[in-house]
Amino acid sequence: MTDPAVTALATPSRTKAPLFRKVMIANRGEIVCRIARTLRQLSIPSLAIFHDAEAGAAHTRVTDEAVEIQGETPVAAHLDARQIIVAAVKAGADAIHPGYGFLSENAAFARAVAEAGLTFIGPDADVIALMGDKISARAFAERHGAPVAPSAVSEGHIDAFIAAAAGIGFPLLIKAAAGGGGKGMKIVRSQEELADAARSAASEALRYFADGRIYAELYVERPRHIEVQVLGDGQGEAVHLFERECSVQRRFQKIIEEAPAPNLPRETRERMLDSAVRLTRAARYRNAGTIEFILAPDGRFFFLEMNTRLQVEHPVTEMITGVDLVRAQVEIAAGQGLPFRQSEIAPRGVAIECRICAEDPERDFLPEIGVVRYLAKPEAPYLRFENALDAHQKVTADFDSMLAKLVAHSETRDAAIGRSIAALRELVIVGVRTNTEYLARVLAHPAFRAGDLHTGFLAEHAQELKSIPPDERTRDHVLIAAALGLRDFREVAFGAPEPHATIGRWRN
Amino acid sequence: MALKLTLAGRTHLVEIVRRRPRLVLSIDGREHEIAAAGEGGDGRNSLEIGGDSLHFVRAQVGDSQLVHLKGRGYEVGWVDPQAEIADAGADHDEVKSPMPGRVVSVSRIAGDRVLRGETVATIESMKLQMSLPAPRDGRIAAILRAEGDAVEKDEAVARLEALSPGS
Repeated sequence: MTDPAVTALATPSRTKAPLFRKVMIANRGEIVCRIARTLRQLSIPSLAIFHDAEAGAAHTRVTDEAVEIQGETPVAAHLDARQIIVAAVKAGADAIHPGYGFLSENAAFARAVAEAGLTFIGPDADVIALMGDKISARAFAERHGAPVAPSAVSEGHIDAFIAAAAGIGFPLLIKAAAGGGGKGMKIVRSQEELADAARSAASEALRYFADGRIYAELYVERPRHIEVQVLGDGQGEAVHLFERECSVQRRFQKIIEEAPAPNLPRETRERMLDSAVRLTRAARYRNAGTIEFILAPDGRFFFLEMNTRLQVEHPVTEMITGVDLVRAQVEIAAGQGLPFRQSEIAPRGVAIECRICAEDPERDFLPEIGVVRYLAKPEAPYLRFENALDAHQKVTADFDSMLAKLVAHSETRDAAIGRSIAALRELVIVGVRTNTEYLARVLAHPAFRAGDLHTGFLAEHAQELKSIPPDERTRDHVLIAAALGLRDFREVAFGAPEPHATIGRWRN
Repeated sequence: MALKLTLAGRTHLVEIVRRRPRLVLSIDGREHEIAAAGEGGDGRNSLEIGGDSLHFVRAQVGDSQLVHLKGRGYEVGWVDPQAEIADAGADHDEVKSPMPGRVVSVSRIAGDRVLRGETVATIESMKLQMSLPAPRDGRIAAILRAEGDAVEKDEAVARLEALSPGS
């Protein structure tokens, strides 16, 4: 983030009036802290929202103001578009940044924000609707020359869909048309499995998204998930900020991302970047966005979807380009156009992001809950530890299990891996089980170091990625440390004059 | 009487061998001299065991001591000798939810025979669905939670009973 050329591009102008009077950040957790940081640099007052269950949370303390929103559950409150817009207007905000998740890709919300006379820091509602529906997005991509995988769509009766899907050949991937995050996604390897899988995907789609439409597409074996960061000005001009590799996934969700993508042939990269910019221009897209591609081992790649918002993994792009993407979003939303020309940016080094999640990798990544009893955050000039963690914070099942993001940069991929592993060991979260040690094992794996990645990476190497029990000496040390934490045991060990008199029954 | 601690599913015995001139503890018969015992309580701490100087973090949560040492976290359980006797075997009769969440579906009714591993109910937690399998072969004695009910971590959703002979 200290490249002089880029710093020159991003130096704030101190004389001009702030771009907005006040910006509401309609989100929670680390992304609010991230966005608030840039707003502060831009001298724009910020406003957070919180449900009663999050009162006093870090994301409500980093903004200039915070307002409470009501809801039966915290998530329901964060999805209550009308209430959030009313709160923004009441507080005097003139723009809303939606972050990621929640309402960020909700076209009705974007429309309502605009109708209330506020600026939505994102694309137009129509573009969100176009890209938010996998079927219309695909058709649009195909029309504008982006390669798409052969597919079938359920428009009417499920039997017609099953017949059409069978025509593509196997293996197939079945997904919810309105979906995301792996919900309702199924791999079908034979004709025999197809009918059952289609029916269950349709019912899951209906349950999660209130929209039972599904589609099937060719399933690429050992695919890589590579995405291109773009910025569009809404007038048909667009630039890219290179690609990110997001193949390391569990439960169809990313846990490690990096930029640039390792071992990507120059020509493939050029075609991908070009394809992404062309689509962004064709959509007259405004805002930061991401075009996701599936890359086959033979070099073919297919358009997957476009995310019309800031991505969780945006910091890796920021670290290799020196561009503040949130700042770019705000400037574009304020009508200032693109912050740079394509020829003005070049990637530098490698950045890796690890998503720290409250989950148990030894139990199929099931979410964990608890209270943070001790917290030590890693710190270094080449690190970003994006989080909204507090000591004594409760980690509940109310929200997503991602607690923080650890992003490390270096000149080479090997060095970035080394820095990431060191920082993961420095990070201490006691009280909630996390995937921290697992992430370090993934990074240290020879296949990861070799950049031999695909979306089945974690499943393929599951055995080698298992936790190895500590050696006997370490285990004894841990037990001694634990025993000496028990007050009664300590007292007997050090205090009472006659141990045998009191040693009869341990209490905790 | 030795202190019983559990780590990664195994029980270990901790005994005080002697207290002077320095504390010596035995873990499953292996003796360790404690040159410096650190502070009591939670937080960052250090110990000297034999020639090793250890820096760790410790926190007590319920009956467990959480210890973070050399980049790894450990959960050390404490076995209450009395509860140990009372609890013997009871756990195996319950189909428990590993997470707080909501019951999405109950696939069995009271009286059903189930085999170990068969799904008894499905819960949803943090947007993920998971099946709750029968911990052993048996018969459903009672379904304790219905579809739509909220469940806490480790709460029983169903209870099993042994199959009566001949059934």
